[in-house]
Amino acid sequence: MSTSRLLRLIARTGRVAEPLGPATDNDIQVRDGFEPPRALRGSVQVRHVDAGSCNGCELEIGAAFGPVYDAERVGARLVASPRHADVIAVTGVVTQNMAEPLVNTVNATPNPRVIVSIGDCTRSCGQFAGSYAVAGSVDDYFEVDVHVPGCPPAPEAIIAALRAVTRR
Amino acid sequence: MTVLAAATNLVDAGLLAQLLLGALAVVAAVVTRGRLRNLLAGALIVAAGIAAAVTGSAALLGEVGTGLQIPVAIPLAEPLDPLLLAPDQLGGLFMALAGVVVALAALFGIGYAHGPAASRTGWTAFAVFAVGMQLVPAAADAVTFLLAWELMAGGSTVLLLADHATREPVRRATVWYAVMTHLSFLLLLAGFGVLIAAAGGTSWATMTGASVAGPAATLAFVLLVAGFATKAGLVPVHVWLPRAHPEAPSHMSAAMSAAMVKMGIYGILLLTLRLLPGGPRWWSIVLVAIGAGSALYGILQASVQADLKKLLAYSTTENIGLITTAIGVGLLLRSSGQNAVADVALVAALLLAVSHAAFKSVLFLGAGSVLHATGERDLDLLGGLAARMPWTSVTFGIGALGAAALPVTSGFVAEWALLQSLIHVDARADRLLAIVIPITMGIVALTVGLGLLTFVKAYGIGFLARPRTPAAAEAHEAGPAMRAAMVLGAVLVVGLGLVPGPLSQALARAVSAGGVSTTGGAGLLLGAVDVVLNPIALTLLTLAILVPLVVVNAVLARRHPRRDVDLAWGCGGERTSPRMEYNATSYSEPLVRVFRSSLQATQLVDVVRHDAAPLLVEQMTFTQETGDVIEDRLYLPATRWAGRLGDLARTIQNGSIHRYVGFSFAALVLVLVLVAL
Repeated sequence: MSTSRLLRLIARTGRVAEPLGPATDNDIQVRDGFEPPRALRGSVQVRHVDAGSCNGCELEIGAAFGPVYDAERVGARLVASPRHADVIAVTGVVTQNMAEPLVNTVNATPNPRVIVSIGDCTRSCGQFAGSYAVAGSVDDYFEVDVHVPGCPPAPEAIIAALRAVTRR
Repeated sequence: MTVLAAATNLVDAGLLAQLLLGALAVVAAVVTRGRLRNLLAGALIVAAGIAAAVTGSAALLGEVGTGLQIPVAIPLAEPLDPLLLAPDQLGGLFMALAGVVVALAALFGIGYAHGPAASRTGWTAFAVFAVGMQLVPAAADAVTFLLAWELMAGGSTVLLLADHATREPVRRATVWYAVMTHLSFLLLLAGFGVLIAAAGGTSWATMTGASVAGPAATLAFVLLVAGFATKAGLVPVHVWLPRAHPEAPSHMSAAMSAAMVKMGIYGILLLTLRLLPGGPRWWSIVLVAIGAGSALYGILQASVQADLKKLLAYSTTENIGLITTAIGVGLLLRSSGQNAVADVALVAALLLAVSHAAFKSVLFLGAGSVLHATGERDLDLLGGLAARMPWTSVTFGIGALGAAALPVTSGFVAEWALLQSLIHVDARADRLLAIVIPITMGIVALTVGLGLLTFVKAYGIGFLARPRTPAAAEAHEAGPAMRAAMVLGAVLVVGLGLVPGPLSQALARAVSAGGVSTTGGAGLLLGAVDVVLNPIALTLLTLAILVPLVVVNAVLARRHPRRDVDLAWGCGGERTSPRMEYNATSYSEPLVRVFRSSLQATQLVDVVRHDAAPLLVEQMTFTQETGDVIEDRLYLPATRWAGRLGDLARTIQNGSIHRYVGFSFAALVLVLVLVAL
C-alpha cells in the first residue's frame, strides 16, 4: 500500500475508538482490601500468561488492546517479559504443563505486583474441571487481586479491571 | 678482607647484604623444617629482595660505589679477573625492579609454598635464583654477568621441577625451559665472545670502545639479541614461556614473569645503549619488528586461552614485545636525529617494564591464590570467586586494570607515554619513519584493544558470575602473607599510576634522557613533546563530576523504592544453571573466528544420537583447540630433523667395540698424515 493510499484510508476511516466513559465496575470482582500499589498508579505493564485457555479470552484481550477499545488509553500496555511487567494477566485453567511456568513467571515479576485473572476458567475451571490435564484453578495457586468473570468476558470488562489497577 | 673493606657506601654495602642474606636463606632452608622453613627462608629472601631494591634505587639515583670485587680461584688455563659487581644507573633500575618482585614473591611464598616447593631444595633453589637474578644487572663484566645469569637459570629450572613427581606436564615444560634457557646462554656466550675478542677485555668499560661498523659488531648484535630475546620470551623464541609459567609454583611464576624476563630487556638495553651505541639503523628496525610481532602474537594467543596462567604467560610475551618495540623506536629515532622524541620512547620502554613488573606480579600471585583455593586454573571451571575471595579478587582486578592499560594504573601511564612518543614523531622528511611508525602505532593500538578484551575475560569469567564447579564454590580466601603480597603489589600498580612523575624522572636518568619532569601533584610532564599527564588532577576532576551525579541519583532513587525480584527469569523454566553462563571459550569465540588461521583453531562438534530415534540428539560435545603456529611450523620440524640426525648417528655408533677401535685408528692415521704434510 502506498503512503498516499494509506493516508486516504486513514482519512476515510476516521476515529473508530469508542469514547472512554467514566470507570464502571462491569461485574469485576476486586479482592477485599485491594489497593493498587502507589508505584503502579497511572501506568502498568501487563504480561499475559495463557495457563491453559481455550483462546476465547485471548481473542477478547486482543480486542481490548485493539483500536476500538484501545486499553492503552487507560495506561495499560502489553509487554513481552515478566521482567518488564507490573501486572500478570492469567487466562484459562492451570494445566499440568503450565503450572510450573506460571509460578516461575509470577515469581520473576518484580514486587509489588498485581495478579489479574481473566475468564471463568481461572476461578471454576469451567468446562475443563476434572480433566486429567488440569492441575487446578488460578485461585489455587495465587491470591488473585482482580477477577474478570465471563466466558469469555467482554473487552469492556477487561478494561474495567485494568482501570481498577491504574485508577484512570 | 677486601670484600668487607669495600662496604663503605650504600651500593657496596647493599650488594654485600644481598649475598649474605642469600647465603643465610640457603642455610635456613637447609637446617630448618616445616612451617619454620617457609617462614625463615622466605623472610630472608624478602630481606634480600628489599636490600636489592634499596641498592638498586641508590644506584639509579646516582650513587656510585667502588664496586664489589669477589676474587675467584678456579684452576683454569687462563686466570680469571676478580668478579666485579658495580651497577650503573640502568643496572640499578633493573636490580631494584628484581628486588621488589623477589620480595613480593617470597612474601607470597611464605604462605603459599607447600609440598615440594616448600622443601629444602625448593627454598634453596628460590634463594639462588633470586640472588642470581638481582646480581645480573649489577655485573660490570661479561664473566660476572654470565655467572649470575646461570645462577638465575639454574635456580629457576630446579624450582620449576618442583611438582614433577605428581604432574607429567611439569617434566615436559622443564625440558623445554632448560633447552631454551641454555640456548639463550650459549648465544650470549658466543656473542660476548665475539665482542670480547673485538674489544680486548671482558669488562663493560672495555667493550664500550668496540666499533659498531665491522662484521664482528653485527655478529655480536645478532647473537646477543637472539640470546636476550630467548630469555625475554619474544616471538619466535617464546615457546618456553606458555609452558613453564603455568607449571611453576605460582610465586615462582610471578618472579619469572615479572622480573626474570626483564633481564632479557636489560640485556638488550645494555647492548644497544652502553656496549654498542649508535649501531646501524637496521638494528633498530629488527627490534621494532620482533617487538611488534611479539606484542600482537602474544596478546592474540592470550585472548583465546582458557588456562589463567597460560593467558598470563602469553600476556607477558605481549608486554615484552611492547617494551622491545619502544626500545627499537627509541633507537630508530636517535639514529634519525629526533633525540627529544627518542628519549620519550626509551622512557616509555622503562615505564612499561616497571609497570609490567608491578601488575604481572599481582596477577600471577592472584592466580596462585586461586589455584591454592580451588586447585583449578581453567577459567571455564572457575567463576563466582569475587564473593568468596574478596582480597584476591580486588587485587587481581587492579592488576587486570593495569594489564588492560586503563587509567589510574601504571599500565595506562606507560602505554600513554609509548603512544605519545609514536604520535610525536616527525616523519615528513624520512621515508623509513613514514612507513615504520604508522604501522607500529597500528599494531600497538590493536594490541592494547585485544589486551582489554583479554583481561575483561580473565577477570569477568574467573571472578564474577556464579561458580561453575564445586571447587570454585568452596573456594577460601588466601592467608595473611599471601594477602599482604597481593595488596602491596596492587598498591604499587595504583601508586605508579597516580604519581608517575618522580619515577619517570628517575627512569629518564637511567637512559640519560632529557625533557621528562614532574608537574604539580606528581604528574608527568614530557617537555620534549610538550604533553602533560596529571592522573591525580584527572582523578579529582572525574570525582568532582561523578560524586554529584551519584548523590543526585541516590536521592532520587529514595523516592522510588527498589523493586526486588524473587526469581531470575528463565523463560518459565528454572534453566539458570551455571553451565549456561558465558565462559572463557565462548567469550573469545568471535576472535577465534576472525583469526582462525593464525590461531590454528579446530572445532569439533560430536553428536550422539538416540538409539531408538535417530532424529533425537542424546548428547552433544563441543571441543575447541587452538595451536601455536610458530611451534608447529618451526619447532616441530626442527626437532624432527634433530631426531633424524640422531638416527643417522646411530648407524655409525652401533655399539661394536671393534668399530670404535677402528675409528680411533683411522683418526690417528689421519692426524699423522696431516702432520706429515
